[in-house]
Amino acid sequence: MFEYLIFFFFAAVAVIFALVVILHRNPVVGALSLVVSFFALAVMYVLLDAPFMAALQIIVYSGAIMVLFLFVIMLLNLQHEKEPSTRPVQQWLGYLTSSAFAISLVYYLGKYAVMSGALPVPFIADARAIGRRMFEAYIFPFEAVSILLLAAIVGALMLTGRSEQRENTSGEVIR
Amino acid sequence: MIPTQWFLILSAILFSIGVCGVLTRKNGITIFMSIELMVNAVNLTFIAYARQFDQLHGLIFVFFIMAIAAAEAAVGLAIFISMYHHKDSIDVDDANLMHW
Repeated sequence: MFEYLIFFFFAAVAVIFALVVILHRNPVVGALSLVVSFFALAVMYVLLDAPFMAALQIIVYSGAIMVLFLFVIMLLNLQHEKEPSTRPVQQWLGYLTSSAFAISLVYYLGKYAVMSGALPVPFIADARAIGRRMFEAYIFPFEAVSILLLAAIVGALMLTGRSEQRENTSGEVIR
Repeated sequence: MIPTQWFLILSAILFSIGVCGVLTRKNGITIFMSIELMVNAVNLTFIAYARQFDQLHGLIFVFFIMAIAAAEAAVGLAIFISMYHHKDSIDVDDANLMHW
């Protein structure tokens, strides 16, 4: 089946580029690999009959958030950052724990999460259905998220503001 | 139609890769990218279950998770920029004091 071929190809792409993110020393390569991994996840959303979510994934994650990451990496000039290899025992414990977690999770999902296949009705998840549901049942969380985003903007501006400017306006050094 | 279980297994693998990144790396930006990876794995689970049970609530949760992840990325990267100004490093081992 053509659908299965697409699934396995993009699942492999997502997993391989996710591994590049956590194993590569250069954060710029990591950020670009994360973009590729997010694109593969957008393909998964299309396979799950949610094309609107795939578009949001590409616009918000690959477009906005990863550009923010790349800008910060280039602003801080971290391209040539070398990680000192301290604490090897804890690092190996981390690899061991996460791989044990992965193996057990996959084993139990394969054993117990077997679900019936085809739905009786087609799953409709276009922008019209999602918007209708969101502005009927979820209008209060929607407004709360807008306030949260405003708070995040103010918080980010306050955190990155230079202390010299604050010193000038208030007359004393605030660190 | 691809079984929901396979999407759940893919999501579990991606989540575990994110956990591995958070546990083993010391570069703050890489840890942050691993967290984004975990958030995306959870999003995939939400959408897989939304299709399985024919519910739109899962998709709306993914919408909110994306908005919150954007806010989190903005504030977290601002914290790292501020830390870089103070310490000239974004190694999380260097940030071992509440006040610097």
